[in-house]
Amino acid sequence: MPPASDLALLVPELWLAALGLVLLGVDLFVGEQNKRTVGWVAVGGLLLALVPTWGLAGAVHRPGTTVFFGSYAVDGFAVFFKFLAIIATTLVILASMDYFRASGDRQGSTQRFEGEFYTLLVFTGLGLVLMAASADLILVALSIEFVSLTSYVLAAYLKGNPKSNEAGLKYFLFGAAASAVMFYGFSLLYGLTGSTSLYVIAEKVATVPAPALTVSLALMLAGFGFKISMVPFHQWTPDVYEGAPTPVAAFLSVGSKAAGFAVLLRVVAVAIAPSGLDYVTLIAGLSAVSMFVGNLLALPQRNIKRMLAYSSISHAGFILIGVAAFGGAFGNTGLLIYLFAYMFFTLGAFFIAALIEARLGSDDIPDYAGLSQRAPGLAFLMALFMLSLTGIPPTAGFFAKFYIFAAAIERSPALLWLVAVGVVNSVISLYYYVNVIRTMYLLPPQDPARIQEPAVLRTALWVTGAATLLLGLYPQPLITFARAAALLLP
Amino acid sequence: MTAYLPIFIHLLLAVLLTAALLGAHALLGGRRPTVAKDEPYESGVWPIGSARERIPIRYYLIAMLFILFDIEAVFLYPWAVAFRDLGVVGLVEMLVFLGVLFVGFVYAWQRRALEWE
Repeated sequence: MPPASDLALLVPELWLAALGLVLLGVDLFVGEQNKRTVGWVAVGGLLLALVPTWGLAGAVHRPGTTVFFGSYAVDGFAVFFKFLAIIATTLVILASMDYFRASGDRQGSTQRFEGEFYTLLVFTGLGLVLMAASADLILVALSIEFVSLTSYVLAAYLKGNPKSNEAGLKYFLFGAAASAVMFYGFSLLYGLTGSTSLYVIAEKVATVPAPALTVSLALMLAGFGFKISMVPFHQWTPDVYEGAPTPVAAFLSVGSKAAGFAVLLRVVAVAIAPSGLDYVTLIAGLSAVSMFVGNLLALPQRNIKRMLAYSSISHAGFILIGVAAFGGAFGNTGLLIYLFAYMFFTLGAFFIAALIEARLGSDDIPDYAGLSQRAPGLAFLMALFMLSLTGIPPTAGFFAKFYIFAAAIERSPALLWLVAVGVVNSVISLYYYVNVIRTMYLLPPQDPARIQEPAVLRTALWVTGAATLLLGLYPQPLITFARAAALLLP
Repeated sequence: MTAYLPIFIHLLLAVLLTAALLGAHALLGGRRPTVAKDEPYESGVWPIGSARERIPIRYYLIAMLFILFDIEAVFLYPWAVAFRDLGVVGLVEMLVFLGVLFVGFVYAWQRRALEWE
C-alpha cells in the first residue's frame, strides 16, 4: 500500500475532484434563474486550487519522481501543466457564463443544464491535470478517455442545435477510433518491454527490435495526434469547433491540445527516446505537413471558428517542432513557453468569436466589418490576438515562435529545413489573420449600432489580452518557470 | 523471430481456409431465395412486427445507472473479504468511494432519472 504521505502531493487533484462533486450538489439547490452561482463557485474553487499547486511548485522534486508505484509523476513538468489546465478552465468558465446568458437573451430561451456545464468543465480540467502527470500507460489511457468522454458531451451541449449534435457525434466517432488504435500501440509497447510504467520501459526499450517499436509508436501517435489535432488526424477539428459551443471550442483548442502534448512528450521523451529510434524525422515530417495543411486550408475560410480551427492545426505543427527538438537546451522549454502563451491569445480570439456570435448570431468574418466603430475595445483586442497568432512582436506569440525556432536551430543542423518551413508558414498565416484586422478596421459597418459587452466575458477578455501583451514585453518569469519545469528525465 | 513462424502459418491457414470455404459456397452453392428463407430466424416462432423498433432512451439511462451501482457492489465484496487486513485506511478509502457514488446517486435522484413515467 502506498504511504499516506503520497496523498499530500495530490492535493490539487483531490481538490479539483471534490470541487466537481460539490458543484453537482450546489447545482441541485439553486433555482433555474441563478445557475451562474454554480459558475462563480467553480471559478472560486479553481482559483483556490492554484494555492496548493503553487506549494508544489515551490517544493523541489527531482525529475522522474513518481508516487503510487511509479504511476503518477509529481515533477515540475506536471506542475506546469496543472497551472495551465486550471487557468484555462477558469477563463473558459468565466466566458461561458456570459456566452449562455447573451445567447439566451437573443434567442429568448435559457440554456438547459447550465450548472452541469460548469461541473463538466471542472472535471475535464481535472482530466487534463491527470493526463499531464500520468507516468504509466494504464493511467495515460484512463486519463485520455476521461478527458475525451467529458469533451464529447461538452461539444454536443447545444441540444437543439443540429450542428452541435453533429460536432459531438463526429468527435465521438473519431475519438473512439483514435483511442482504439492508440491502445493497440500501448499493448504492443507493454508486450515488448513487459511493463506499463514509462520509466521502467525506458530502461528496457533499448533491447526491443526497432520495427516493432516503430509500429507501436505509429499507433500511439494516432491517439496523441487526435488530441493535438495533428495532420493526418485533424479532420474532426473544423467541424467540431464550428458546431460546439464557442467556449468549448476554445477549451478543446487549448486544454486538450496542451495535455495531449504533455502526454506525447512524456511518452516519446521518456519511453521511446532511449531506444535510439529515429523518431525526430517522423515528428519533423508530421510537423511540416501540419503547418502547411492547416495554413493553406485556413486561407479560404469565411467562418471565424473554422478559420481558428485550421489555425489550431497549423499551431500544432509549430509546437511539434518543440517535440522534434527535445533534448536540446531549448526544446522542452520552448514547447512549454509556446503552450502557455498560446493558451492566452487563442482563448482570447475564441472569446471574441463567442461574444460576437452571442450578440449578432453570426460566425462569419464579413460580419466583423466595422467592429472598430461598433466596439473599439473588442476590435483592438482581436487585432492584438491576431498579431500574436501570427507571431509579431511585441506579443506573446512572437516569443513563443522565437523559442521554438531557436530550439530547432540549436538542437541540430538537420532541423534547419523545419525552421525554414515554419518561417514560410508564418508568412502564409499573416494573410488570413490580417484579413480579420482589415475587415474590422477598414470595411464600413453594415449596422452602426454599438455592441454591448457583458461584464464577466469582458473581464476574461482583458485578462487574456493583458497576458498576451505582458508575456510579449516581459517574458522572463515565464522563461524561468518553464526552464525549471522542462526537465523531464531523471 | 523464427519462434513466431508457427503462429504466422496458423494465421495464414485460417485465412486461406475461410476464403476457400466461402468461395466454394459462393461458386458451387447457388442462390434460390424464397419469402420463408428471407425471414429473420426467431427460434422457430413466426416473427411479429419489424425488428427495427425504436427503443425509449430511458432504457439506456437505467442501464447506465445499473452498471454504476453494480460496480459499486462488485467493489464492496472484495473489500468486505479483506476488511481486517486493510483496517482503518481501507475503511476510509471505501467511505470516500461510496461518498462519490452517493453524490451521483443524489444527483440522479433529484434530476428524476429514477422515475419511470
